[in-house]
Amino acid sequence: MNFGVQTRPRGNQDRSIVPMINVVFLLLIFFLMTASLTPPAPFEITPPEAEADPAEPRAGTLYISADGAMALGTVRGQAVFEALATDPPDGPLPIQADAAYPAAELATLLPNLAEVGITGILIVTVHP
Amino acid sequence: MIDVVFLLLVFFMLAARFGQEGALPLTIGSGGETAWSGPPRLLQIGPHDILLNGRVEAPETLVLSLSELVQPGADLVLLRPVQGADMQRLLDVMTLLQAGGLTNLTLVAP
Repeated sequence: MNFGVQTRPRGNQDRSIVPMINVVFLLLIFFLMTASLTPPAPFEITPPEAEADPAEPRAGTLYISADGAMALGTVRGQAVFEALATDPPDGPLPIQADAAYPAAELATLLPNLAEVGITGILIVTVHP
Repeated sequence: MIDVVFLLLVFFMLAARFGQEGALPLTIGSGGETAWSGPPRLLQIGPHDILLNGRVEAPETLVLSLSELVQPGADLVLLRPVQGADMQRLLDVMTLLQAGGLTNLTLVAP
């Protein structure tokens, strides 16, 4: 019986792994390019569905949950208005509100936003 | 090195978000900088119905009736959501208006 080591040349084994590494690198570069590393929403939010112009998710989004809790970065609650006043966004403010959030409450929120110098908002949606 | 590459690959696979996100713009009324022109156009958005200047309007005829009142794209249209209308309902109406060329929208408090 032959209990000896495998006689397959080592170079052969190394070469068979090269295509796999190529594929892995390709996938890695693909995910590097497509990944949008925005911080996750501070609470569970189901954005409303709409056919809207595609937009990149970006930092500085104001999150509003279904029960009206607000979050902007690390700031929570009514303090978001102070944070917006000291560090106003360039351009319209992206707002990601839950689909079940009452629209009338958003309407009452807007004068507060206008007070701190915001002239437009973007409502973040998802494609159905 | 391959281990590290695999680790990075798994990390980016998990971290990537492929949500097809979009955004709809809204103007915030900024205290009468531009004069109001033209006839009134106030859309009251209820959970199941839409009132244009106080009269019930079907979604199919809404854009047509509104475009008689405004210059599409230029004039402001006021949206007033009432109790019971949620964000999904508001966005539905907004996409309907945007598709009809009415892009200058603002929200007023009930």
